[in-house]
Amino acid sequence: MGISQNISRESYHITAGLWIVASLLGALPYLLSGMDISPTDAIFESVSGLTTTGSSVLADPGRLPTWLRLWRALTQWVGGLGLVLLIVALVPSLRSGGSHLYASEFSGTQQRKLHPHMAKNVSRMWFIYIMLTLTLAVLLAACGNPVDDALCLAMSTVSTGGFMTSAGGLAAYSNASLAVITVFMFLSGINVAMIYNFATLHWRRLRRSDEFVVYAVVFTASAVLCTAAFGLAGNDWWRSACYSVFHIASTLSTCGFVAAMPERWPFLVSVLTFLLIVSGAMAGSTGGGIKLRRLMTFSRYLHNSFTRMLHPGAVLTVRIDRQTVPSDYVNKIFGFVFLYILFIIGGAFALTLCGIGIADAFCVAAANISNLGPTPIVGAAGAGLYYTMLPTAAKWILMILMLAGRLEIFALLAILSPSYWKRR
Amino acid sequence: MKTNDIKAAWRSIGIMLAAEGGLMALCMVPALHFADGTASAIGICAAFTFAVGLLLWVSFGRYRRVDDRRMAYLMVVLVWLMLTLFGTLPFLATGATTSPTRAVFESMSGLTSTGATVFDCVAALPASVLLWRSMMQWFGGFGIVLMVLALAPRLGINKYALYTAEASGADNTGRRAVSTATTVRRTLGVYLVLTAAFIAALTSTGMEWWDAVNLTFTNISSGGFSVNSDSIASLLPIQQYILATAMLLSGVNFTLLYLFFTLRWRQIGHKLEQFRFYLVLCALAATFTVAVLHWHENIGWSDALRIGTVQTVSALTTTGSVVADTTTWWTPLIFLLLMLSVCGGMAGSTSGGLKVMRVLILIRNAKATLRDRLHPNAVTPLRLNGAPVSSHIRSNVMVIFMVYVFSLMLGVMGLMLCGIDATEAIGASVGCLTGYGPGLGASGGFGSYAAFTPSAMWLCSLLMLMGRLECITVLLLLLPRFWRR
Repeated sequence: MGISQNISRESYHITAGLWIVASLLGALPYLLSGMDISPTDAIFESVSGLTTTGSSVLADPGRLPTWLRLWRALTQWVGGLGLVLLIVALVPSLRSGGSHLYASEFSGTQQRKLHPHMAKNVSRMWFIYIMLTLTLAVLLAACGNPVDDALCLAMSTVSTGGFMTSAGGLAAYSNASLAVITVFMFLSGINVAMIYNFATLHWRRLRRSDEFVVYAVVFTASAVLCTAAFGLAGNDWWRSACYSVFHIASTLSTCGFVAAMPERWPFLVSVLTFLLIVSGAMAGSTGGGIKLRRLMTFSRYLHNSFTRMLHPGAVLTVRIDRQTVPSDYVNKIFGFVFLYILFIIGGAFALTLCGIGIADAFCVAAANISNLGPTPIVGAAGAGLYYTMLPTAAKWILMILMLAGRLEIFALLAILSPSYWKRR
Repeated sequence: MKTNDIKAAWRSIGIMLAAEGGLMALCMVPALHFADGTASAIGICAAFTFAVGLLLWVSFGRYRRVDDRRMAYLMVVLVWLMLTLFGTLPFLATGATTSPTRAVFESMSGLTSTGATVFDCVAALPASVLLWRSMMQWFGGFGIVLMVLALAPRLGINKYALYTAEASGADNTGRRAVSTATTVRRTLGVYLVLTAAFIAALTSTGMEWWDAVNLTFTNISSGGFSVNSDSIASLLPIQQYILATAMLLSGVNFTLLYLFFTLRWRQIGHKLEQFRFYLVLCALAATFTVAVLHWHENIGWSDALRIGTVQTVSALTTTGSVVADTTTWWTPLIFLLLMLSVCGGMAGSTSGGLKVMRVLILIRNAKATLRDRLHPNAVTPLRLNGAPVSSHIRSNVMVIFMVYVFSLMLGVMGLMLCGIDATEAIGASVGCLTGYGPGLGASGGFGSYAAFTPSAMWLCSLLMLMGRLECITVLLLLLPRFWRR
């Protein structure tokens, strides 16, 4: 057994361990703030922040002291790029095991790095992340929001966290602010490396990205469908269109912001939302979900399957970005997707044990494993109050789901598996 | 598609229709016996169906082989559709329902051995119609086993779509390959023996012949229709246990049953992995159900044991016979039953769902992936029944799983668009796609699908068809690519 393997094991150790310790540390400020927050609630809020989920158990975040609100937003901001960078930073020391980790687990297929040197890679990602956050904060402040609010929201948006600043969601913000936020939600669902290359005018490195095309198409199609559904249900068309774009950006990037909804809510939107929650954003972005890249691999494999049903002898490969995806990678992706669905089903089952209805249980489980958080399709989640009313057991279940989603399941399962702890 | 292929397909459809007509004629017996005045109507339907079948059979009798793959897929779906279409005749002719939508729903539910019904009060139906419903499930259950074990391997379509070769267990009952005719004979033999045995067992407990025949037909085929409005709830406990045994066997691979009955123990050998998983899953789920029924629903131990085991078996084998009003049960229990029906029985049995063998492969694939993450250089083969499962088959199983999940979600979405509320849409979608039958809410428990809108009924019928033919076969037909030259 080579060195690479041991380091690979340790990297899991580090990844999962760091997240758990960070979650506990993140809970301290809530407990020390003197507000009436129970330990479960504090840890929930911290995990929800670090995993960029944004499910909040605080009845009215607007009443928190400013420093605590900033801390709350900061946990998301650190968590947003945290995992990405952790994996990237570990890659050079991992040799073959590392490329597995980086290529198949994190993104689905091989991905180009920004720079062959990892330290440069990391600093470039941080740079673009900070720039995005600052830009958004300045824009929001320019829209007339208080500076602390603008900063909190900017960190929530760019990290696709989705903590909101008041119990009423984003209903109180001006249209201009919402428009700016929508644009940045869309951006934060994009692969960070792509944004870097785009922003620094490295056009040649941008090349063709199939996944981005899919992301844009899914976004547009969903927004149009959503608008039509709202409009046909009897809402004002202009308002429907505005809300749809906001809602789809929020859902697809797994940000999870909620604004004032149109009065009539058609079923179609609920189901569409559910599908988008599970699919998630681009691989290599701060968003959660299964990731479009994996789903693309699946849909291309399905396409091949149909062809093979008609022409059994055909030799077909899955190609993404003009590169062939090796068949064992395809299997790994499928393994992941299966576990993801299993976690949603298992989580939903556990939630029904806590007294939640079947339909709601599925939505809540999916929203939290995908790190979306509040979503209008469950109960009163729109106002962000849904999670405050959950029983304690349900909160712990959701925490496990959030961590599982953020750690892409395997890192969590790996340290739970007996073979991981076996000495050799 | 060559014309010869099309003609050969019509010949197969003709044979099936003639068989259906013959079974329909048998429904005249209770009509005459109970003198419910439907004998002539059923007789005409039977004669018509038989005549159409015979006509197709005779006129295309020369064309025996379907060579074209596309035609094979098309034929499989067409057979099912034609049988359903002619199966509606007795409902319409006897006035059991006047709505073609309802007749198609009931007929589809029968043939796919789903067991979802549109009749609020089945006890009020004429005897001939009741027997026809049971008969269709019996016929449909046999049909699917036949297709998987005999037809699909023959046509070479089993490998990628319907069932992987390992799934059907048809590939090697012994060392030598078995001819289609032999498979048909063996399957039919097992099916007839089982049916006769259970009818005898039920009558020996003092059950009326009429009930015994109908209930055996519907339970041995994983169907779930009943002649009583309260399904099997009012039967004696011993009768319910006998039916549970029938259901349990209906979820077992027929090749395995054949080997078992003919005492060829050595050939069973290591085919038992699936079977063991099936039994263990059943036992675990039943234990949970019984415990919940006792402690949460406050039902006495003996009743909890009876209701719990029978209902669990009914769900896992996607039969859908109902032994107690499940709609009021604790939500997690209802959830569990839904998930069991998604899992389904063994491949090559009459039950629906994903099939335990696929679930096994999925779980092992996930485990292998996990192992691979921890030990990137390790070779992680996947074995089933002692034989390695190629990465190709692993991916295929995954594709079928994903298509299944996606179909379920589309089903829920479609039903919600038809005006069904979320929970009931989930129940109906699972109930119809897996072939379980009862859904949640009004369509669950002893309820019926009578209140569904016509569009929802059509969607449910489609889901039943898709569930029976593994989704991917039906989806293939919907692709423009399929029809392109």
